[in-house]
Amino acid sequence: MKKGIRSFIAASVFAAASASMAVSAAEPNEQVRSLVDSYKKSSGAQSFSAEEGRKFFNSKRTHSVKKEERSCTTCHTTDPRQPGKTIVGKVIEPLAPSVNKERFTDPEKIEKWFKRNCTWVLERECTPREKGDYITYMMSL
Amino acid sequence: MKIKKFILPLLSAGALVAAMTAFAPAVFADGYERGERGDSEERGESEGRNGRNGGRIIPPADNAAYKQECSSCHFLYQPGLLPARSWEAVMGATGKHFGEDLALDEATVKELLAYLTANGADKQTNRRSTRIAASIDSSSAPTRITEVPYMVKEHRKIKKETFSRPSIKTFSNCGACHTKGAEGNFEEDFVKIPKN
Repeated sequence: MKKGIRSFIAASVFAAASASMAVSAAEPNEQVRSLVDSYKKSSGAQSFSAEEGRKFFNSKRTHSVKKEERSCTTCHTTDPRQPGKTIVGKVIEPLAPSVNKERFTDPEKIEKWFKRNCTWVLERECTPREKGDYITYMMSL
Repeated sequence: MKIKKFILPLLSAGALVAAMTAFAPAVFADGYERGERGDSEERGESEGRNGRNGGRIIPPADNAAYKQECSSCHFLYQPGLLPARSWEAVMGATGKHFGEDLALDEATVKELLAYLTANGADKQTNRRSTRIAASIDSSSAPTRITEVPYMVKEHRKIKKETFSRPSIKTFSNCGACHTKGAEGNFEEDFVKIPKN
């Protein structure tokens, strides 16, 4: 009986461990990999940094006209694994591919949203290096 | 005799209200409140749900590009919520969409414009769209649905503080209270105003 319980516990621990492994980090598909490669080429970067991406994601900036503080985190929250909310209250699905498989799978979508949201936060488009770091950060979560 | 006939139903209605009030805490314990903007009688909307023309349901948005491009950020406003000329104004300024660059390509803008103008409030037969269209001066083309006179009037009893509750945020967040808003159903029966 005791043995049964023990093996049951061991099995559950193992199941929990493999489940948590399954939801940590993600691999970009072929198209996204070549998009990231193109960022490397145009930025001259050898590699991108998840840590730089994390800093970029959390950095705050005051909008020159609206005079309000804006950041990626304004809508996405400081945890990309959590759902966020737009400024008009619409729920945004989590950004991290580990919890939302659809994220960072379509280069066209990625580029469109970078353009939309970089303009909103930074009043300019993001640089290839910023984009590369950003995706690397998201993939690392 | 006539008076009695009048009073009896009134009394039973009173009893019903009293009974409902007694149950109120249980009924409203779901984090929502109701009836903030008065009942439908008060608003002069006592006729049947499908009282006129094409009913009261605004046809839901059914264009794939429109859904994808527009509802990521906000409530999927039915084209029947604004007249065609307003949609023209909205789609003519996608680079400055209420302060945001939508980064839409030309083909998408064209498709969305065609869809929205073909289904604008002035092209609809449902009662709400026709009222929306009729409430707007023909010389103006408002781009904010929240500034349409009909909308302002319909929500006049909602306090500003109510709209700024965290789960509502803005007047433009239709779906926060209109639980069937996405289906184009803005009936009072399906309004649930979150308390927080």
